[in-house]
Amino acid sequence: MLAQRFRSAANGFAAKSLSRCTLGRSADQLKDLPPVGYINLGLVDYRAALALQKQLCRRRIDEIYSGPHRRRNDPGERRLSDTIILLEHPPVYTNGRRNHGKVGDAEIERLRQLDCDYVETNRGGEITFHGPGQLVVYPSLYLRDHHLGTKCYVEGLENTVVETCARVGVKAEALKGFPGVWVSPTQKVAALGTHVQKYVTSHGFALNCTTDMRWFEEIVPCGLEGRMAVSLQRILEQMNGGEAPVDASVASITPTVLDSFAQVFGCNVRPLEEVSRDTFELIHEILHNETMK
Amino acid sequence: MSLRLLTKSFVSQRISPSLFSRFYATKKYTASHEWISVDNGVGTVGITDYAQNALGDVVYVEVPEVGTEVELDDVVGVVESVKSTSDIYSPLSGEIVEANQKVVEKSKLINESAEKDGWLFKVKFSSQEEVDNLLDEAAYTKLIEETDH
Repeated sequence: MLAQRFRSAANGFAAKSLSRCTLGRSADQLKDLPPVGYINLGLVDYRAALALQKQLCRRRIDEIYSGPHRRRNDPGERRLSDTIILLEHPPVYTNGRRNHGKVGDAEIERLRQLDCDYVETNRGGEITFHGPGQLVVYPSLYLRDHHLGTKCYVEGLENTVVETCARVGVKAEALKGFPGVWVSPTQKVAALGTHVQKYVTSHGFALNCTTDMRWFEEIVPCGLEGRMAVSLQRILEQMNGGEAPVDASVASITPTVLDSFAQVFGCNVRPLEEVSRDTFELIHEILHNETMK
Repeated sequence: MSLRLLTKSFVSQRISPSLFSRFYATKKYTASHEWISVDNGVGTVGITDYAQNALGDVVYVEVPEVGTEVELDDVVGVVESVKSTSDIYSPLSGEIVEANQKVVEKSKLINESAEKDGWLFKVKFSSQEEVDNLLDEAAYTKLIEETDH
């Protein structure tokens, strides 16, 4: 326990209560993690982003498992890299795999009347909202290269948000049994849901920076009654009593998220075009084709 | 008591070879942590205990429909642990002949008994070669050790 705390301090984490910062990996394993490229796509329609993730994931799986009998190939033979996709969505309600077909037509119609799309997806978790002012982070990591199981990966995503909040002066934590990251037992600042296919991840987390919180009042976020979503902007304003201007915009929070991600996952995070030109071009090609449809 | 024992041994002598092999079903594994118990042309598939531990508490399970024709590596099901869905792949080509509805009703079975009561589906396989390409226990154990260290 003491050793753990010492390690956190040595690593310079701003967050006080990060559980298992190295996510259970040894120093040897942490030494040669692959670099992760990030790409900022701005405002992207949810369905186009879904298609993008699906195709990127399939291409990566095809490449990784191209050895004999579809076994894993050597990392040196791969052209596509780990990627963090950063974006914002136009207003959309999305639901997780286990709620497929469970929301009635009338309810879907009601949500669409709000000028908001409704999409059922293959991620874990339940209903949530995405919209402008919310930083959406979709990491595509090959978990084997990172020596991570699903549980530890999700913990890493939670820690990334907790560390991000800590760096801007907001105390947040992951509550056991309640998905997402919370600034109080009833206020959730980020939603989280992932999908893992052959160790390749998709979906991720959505951090409310300056999101208009009224959108969340139309649903029961993540199926949790009596709990609500909150934005970083609102918390920071409450904290300083409205005395000084607060900037929790997506643009200002993004670098903090990337730094926190790199620190929590122990890997090098750089612009995607530097890490893998092929992945960078593939993403733009898929997105171009999707938005032309 | 002795009579019973006698009866038992009498029965066991008359067991047909196919029934006999049932007790010695070979267990194979995939690199994506599925186990396959192969017996009489049918593979029973589930996720390994190692996998359930890495996933955490399972909250939702989807199994394939009986009668579905599947190819090797087709997505045939989903296991959802807190905040994450993981696809289940068919380790063999063939026809789904049985699916475990108990695990759909009680997803915790996967955590409690991943390699027994928590089985997911049975596939009547069409290629012995695919079976032969699966990992044996020693190879799978080695793979886990490599992942952990």
